Amino acid sequence: MLDQIRQQIDRVKGMGATYVDCRWYPFEEQNYLLMWNGNLKVTAASRESGMGIRVLYKGAWGFSASSDMGDIAAVFDKALDNARTAAERVTFPVRLAEKDILQASFTSPSRVNPFEVPLNEKVAFLKAMDDKLNQKGVFQRSADLSFMRKQIVFVDSEGSEIEKNITEVFSSLEVNGLDAQGMSHERKYKLNRQGDTRGWESINPALFGENAERIVRELNEMLAAEDCPKEDRSVILLPGIMYLQTHETIGHALELDRILGYELAYAGGSFVTLDDFGRLRYGSGKLTARADATLPNSPGSFGYDDDGVPAQDNVLIDKGILVGAITGRQMVEEANVKAKRQIFDGSGGANRATSFYRVPIERMTNINIDPGSDGSLDDIIANTERGIVMDGDRSWSIGSNREQFHFGTEIGWLVDDGKITKVVKNATYKGDTVKFWNSLSAVGDESTWQVQLVNNCGKGQPNQVMQLGHGIPVCRFDNTRIGE
Amino acid sequence: MKERILQTLRDLRAYALEKGYEISLFYHEEDSYLMRFANSAISLNTNEHLIRLDITAYSGRKRASFELITDLAKLDEMKRGIDTAAEMVEHAMPLTYQPTVAAYADSFADESGYDQALAQLSNAERLDYFNTVAGDLETDQLKLSGIFSSGTNVLAAITTRSEHTQYFKTSDAQVTAVLAHEAEKWEIIAEQSAYRKPDLEPAALNRELSFLLDRFQQDPRQQLPTGSYDIVFGPAAIADMVHFMNWIGFSGGSMKRGFSFVAEDKLGQKVFSDKVTLVDDPRLLDTYPFKRDFMGMERNPFAFFDQGVFKGFAWFQDDADEFGAQPSGHTVMHKSLHLHPGEVKAASLEELVRMPRQKDVLYIPFLHYMNIVNPSKGVITGSSRFGALLLKADGSVVVPFNVRLTQSLLDIFGDKVAWLSQDTVACNQSQSYGARNPVAYVVPRFMQVDGLEISHSNPSF
Ligand SMILES: [Zn+2]
Repeated sequence: MLDQIRQQIDRVKGMGATYVDCRWYPFEEQNYLLMWNGNLKVTAASRESGMGIRVLYKGAWGFSASSDMGDIAAVFDKALDNARTAAERVTFPVRLAEKDILQASFTSPSRVNPFEVPLNEKVAFLKAMDDKLNQKGVFQRSADLSFMRKQIVFVDSEGSEIEKNITEVFSSLEVNGLDAQGMSHERKYKLNRQGDTRGWESINPALFGENAERIVRELNEMLAAEDCPKEDRSVILLPGIMYLQTHETIGHALELDRILGYELAYAGGSFVTLDDFGRLRYGSGKLTARADATLPNSPGSFGYDDDGVPAQDNVLIDKGILVGAITGRQMVEEANVKAKRQIFDGSGGANRATSFYRVPIERMTNINIDPGSDGSLDDIIANTERGIVMDGDRSWSIGSNREQFHFGTEIGWLVDDGKITKVVKNATYKGDTVKFWNSLSAVGDESTWQVQLVNNCGKGQPNQVMQLGHGIPVCRFDNTRIGE
Repeated sequence: MKERILQTLRDLRAYALEKGYEISLFYHEEDSYLMRFANSAISLNTNEHLIRLDITAYSGRKRASFELITDLAKLDEMKRGIDTAAEMVEHAMPLTYQPTVAAYADSFADESGYDQALAQLSNAERLDYFNTVAGDLETDQLKLSGIFSSGTNVLAAITTRSEHTQYFKTSDAQVTAVLAHEAEKWEIIAEQSAYRKPDLEPAALNRELSFLLDRFQQDPRQQLPTGSYDIVFGPAAIADMVHFMNWIGFSGGSMKRGFSFVAEDKLGQKVFSDKVTLVDDPRLLDTYPFKRDFMGMERNPFAFFDQGVFKGFAWFQDDADEFGAQPSGHTVMHKSLHLHPGEVKAASLEELVRMPRQKDVLYIPFLHYMNIVNPSKGVITGSSRFGALLLKADGSVVVPFNVRLTQSLLDIFGDKVAWLSQDTVACNQSQSYGARNPVAYVVPRFMQVDGLEISHSNPSF
């Protein structure tokens, strides 16, 4: 197959294409199990294979994909034909940043292949979790396991050939209960990896068991609690919501294709402009954020992106100042020209596609925040006069330029004079992005830092779901409106 | 092609019967085309032809499924898929209820929503359409964005319970055209949904964009004070709220699990304004309807709300099995929701702006990134986008910066509803995650709701 792909790439280049690449997926497998209130509702698996062809012709992209490997020349021809039509409406001819030509491979670290674990064992894990969650106060309970494994062979017309073998494991527990007024409340636990690998060994039944007990306890506390007050307080965000704050108001806001207007008809734009790089005070001096695709145990690390560029660790916000973005080969070139200065020195290696039948676009890798020097969670609480600790993602809604947001969390604990005083339910907060990050007044140390996994980030048209991660500490933000 | 698909399903059924398996087979074939525009250029031009086979195996109370992306020529691969599902089901855990396997009483085929001319649009036609929409509206600062998504969807099903098949074929198109001001960071939108080629009217989109563009370029801009407003929602905002209601309003399974703002004791009670009638109406071809569900049940118009009175829950087969309810013909990929029109004549935004009014009215065409804050109370939140206007009582127009609305659907569709327009629009709600599934709701072009709270107001675009 590789020889056929190389021949087709040469053939299409001979027909006038300036760049061609092929992502061939010999296989992609998924497995999903969901147990809901003791019922194994979903036992599902899938398998697919195919190839996606990207052709650049006179500064415009064409893409075509097929699962039929019988006539691959036809798929290449369609991609070229699509590019020829696109070339009739070009305003900024696509050019690609320089990259190294590589013959390379990447395998995500994994000790136990989850696809070789017998189904019985997976079902037994879910049943054990279901039993743990089946307690007083719990009205609905669920436990799930999700696995994916794929092989991607990347070949381009510049001479790179890269093979990737990626395995991912996700799992979560959730409980719901009804309060005295019949209102539903939820509490979740999502897989929090302890080691450096990404296989079945990440599922640690003892850790899940402890957390199952904790979320049931916290749900019951919440069911008896008062509503979150509507007022201004300092918010102390635990990793279960801090990851989402980072995801939505740093991650998506700093995707360079959004900044350049490529998502304006759908996902939205960004309040960030090209002038802002190196200048905008995005947060207080306590904020250093990075796009780190080298973290071993997170799905935001993939060795080489779908442009064939190696994974990198790039600073996005340096002590509060915006310095970088989430980038691929195409957008950095356009941004530098439009900014009339060299903001980006080559691709940041963040161009990824969700499957063989989708085109690569800028996606978050691991968008992390460096741990700070404000101590443990207990230290931060002790140093807070009037605040609220929040955890869990219940709802999220963000302005189209990521300029403002509203988050609903699962649980809140009011803090007065350095002490937790009571649990509250329906804890929400909202704010304006830049103002909010500038109110960052405490960043927890290593003991608070945790990698949270995301398996459902959506973007692009046609839509693509991506897996990534966020390594984040506990953070405190002052003067925030809560309870609205 | 249809006969080849159905014969393949019959062959696979015969294979399963020979092996002693109990299975259902669901075939999905899409031919998808998407031309994406950004910065006044075609940023992506793509097509995918994909065939998926979803196999569900049953063994007593156990159930397991296996999906593969395949090809009609690969019969052996599909048979291996059936073996995989059959093997998986042996290791599954029995459900606490008996899942129902469909037993089709007769074969059924519906191609009434298929238009070959729409399905086979060429690249040149898609580009021409967008060039007409753009007209002479683009400038150095004003850039065209959007999508032209079109394609064909074929669904077919068979089970080991009978030799009969179900077959559905539709064509669809979803167009979104956005003009964005690069420096000032505002955007305006015009959209179209089509199930046949004559529905495509690029000139109409050009007119809508031109009108909005005049407002955005000529009228003053303002940060609105937060507080109470009389709001006129446009079709995209209305359809999006109906979409959320579909999720947390009248699904029987959601209600039983405590995720609905409509409780069982509300059956027969008045929940919304008597101006609100919401029907699942598979007669409307605009909605890419299913005239039968995947259990083989005939689908007829089904009212969820009739003049505000709650008439019934939608019961998906699996929820009906679990909770001992009667399935309601809603085991489908999407419903054909129709929010009935009202009395007020307002067939375009221009007419809405010209309407005489006693008070200022805020027009919100689109709610961006809507989400559920509290499902039991029906509270949703979202921000205005794509061309909100403040229509002043004196006839003038102000362009407001975007605002956030956090409100209960019970309030939005409750007694605060002032009026609905006579004119309706098919509003395309399709997403392109996973398998192609064209969906559109038919809703009034405008709905005015009085006294809704704006909780957040942006200081600039
Ligand atoms: Zn995301």
